[in-house]
Amino acid sequence: MASSSSSGLTFKLHPLVIVNISDHYTRVKSQMHPPLTATNGSDGVDNTSSSPSSSSSSPSRSPPPRVYGCVIGIQRGRTVEIFNSFELLYDPSTHSLDRAFLEKKQELYKKVFPHFYILGWYSTGSDAQESDMHIHKALMDINESPVYVLLNPSINHAQKDLPVTIFESELHVIDGIPQLIFVRASYTIETVEAERISVDHVAHLKPSDGGSAATQLAAHLTGTHSAIKMLNSRIRVLHHYLLSMQKGDIPCENSLLRQVSSLLRRLPAIESGKFQDDFLMEYNDTLLITYLAMFTNCSSSMNELVDKFNTAYDRHSRRGGRTAFF
Amino acid sequence: MDIEQKQAEFIDHFVKQASTLNGSALGSLVAEATSNPSLFAFSEILDVPTVLELEGTDNSVYLDVLRLFAHGTWSDYKNNAGRLPQLAPEQVLKLKQLTVLTLAETNKVLPYRQLMQELDVSNVRELEDFLINECMYAGIVRGKLDQLRECFEVQFAAGRDLRPGQLGSMIQTLSNWLATSDNLLVSIQEKIKWADTMSELDKKHRKEVEDKVEEVKKSISLKFHPVSRQTLTTEGMRRSSLNLVE
Repeated sequence: MASSSSSGLTFKLHPLVIVNISDHYTRVKSQMHPPLTATNGSDGVDNTSSSPSSSSSSPSRSPPPRVYGCVIGIQRGRTVEIFNSFELLYDPSTHSLDRAFLEKKQELYKKVFPHFYILGWYSTGSDAQESDMHIHKALMDINESPVYVLLNPSINHAQKDLPVTIFESELHVIDGIPQLIFVRASYTIETVEAERISVDHVAHLKPSDGGSAATQLAAHLTGTHSAIKMLNSRIRVLHHYLLSMQKGDIPCENSLLRQVSSLLRRLPAIESGKFQDDFLMEYNDTLLITYLAMFTNCSSSMNELVDKFNTAYDRHSRRGGRTAFF
Repeated sequence: MDIEQKQAEFIDHFVKQASTLNGSALGSLVAEATSNPSLFAFSEILDVPTVLELEGTDNSVYLDVLRLFAHGTWSDYKNNAGRLPQLAPEQVLKLKQLTVLTLAETNKVLPYRQLMQELDVSNVRELEDFLINECMYAGIVRGKLDQLRECFEVQFAAGRDLRPGQLGSMIQTLSNWLATSDNLLVSIQEKIKWADTMSELDKKHRKEVEDKVEEVKKSISLKFHPVSRQTLTTEGMRRSSLNLVE
């Protein structure tokens, strides 16, 4: 598959799609281990025939299942915006997606979102494959140029980007035969307000091993640190701009200067008497609560220790032969 | 910001007009510009060469008016009322608005007394009406009126035209801000490192204690197999064993 960039379409991907695909994949995968039934293990999705029989109970590493589905969204002019997705059945015998189900789902979605069209399909895996082209061609009668969204489910800590690739199909001439091949396309992530909140929430999930207070503190501080760093870099830009305006490298732009001066007049932002009062009060409250908590902890462990001690050296115990030792 | 956007077309319009006219015709232009309810920025008009030519001529009074509107306040006008032409009511209003902006430059909390003095307003009701209707609804200031403490807390004030010296002080403020935020970043880094080292130490300590406990347990169990007596805790077991064996 070629990896050159594509035609002039701009793609915008919503995070909901990514979450959907990864959720779908995770569901299928978690229902495979331990393998439950002989054929499929989840609602409405089949594994590819390439995975060894899932009825084997050995915990051997079978290749991860591939999940398939459809992506829907809006296409306006040259911008393709992918909003949502849903799962589809894959029929390994005919190497195609279940058509009837797709149409039924499409109808249902049309009732709720009348503007959304089927823009393409998705799958998981590390790279686009030959068999995918069949599915792609099958969808071409719904949408003349479907997109193929590929999610790579293998976790790679070194990789900083999203493991999502969007492929388009183009007609290239290879060895004298015009063929449809996949070409990568670049995309941007576009969020609606609600999506931003949920993605933010997911991103801030604490590690599941219940990170200690120190790691939580570190995580919180890191967040603050990066926010301040961004602010810092922007102020630096302004500073540089003003300096060069002063030196005369750039003609003075009064409107900008006025805006900067009004901005600077908002500083210092938190220095009124009321703020100090509130701040100190909250600070003292927090310290007090922490102290109280520590106290309670200490007294309870003391209590336990004393209990144990007493049990061990109880003078009135009738346990054989042991005298009070101290 | 929005005020700048609102002003932008007026500024262009007046600048174009100013470059075509000159002399006394500019007088009426100046009057028009200063009465315009949405225009608060005059430095662009001041930069037009035909306007600057007015300096020193008979019509320099118009240039003075323009300069007054760009940098001065209502009290400046009153002090120089002799030299400057009579201002129309809209111009007076505009000048008062600009005065509020100038006052907001220096303090964030403006006492009513000062405002009343600067704006020649005699009672609080009138002052508040002026602030609310003319300044806040026009969008040039945003803030809170505190009647109990009789002050006006400014949260945002639009910028006035810059005097030549102000650029330097703005750069100074910016560099201070930068320095503070850099220091803050460094101290946050240190805090993060401290938190990490503390948790490391804690983990090590915990592990050491557990190792010790394991060791003692092992040594006890080696020495002390035939304990038939029921003891409640490992602690008790240890003690009883120590009593008996040695």
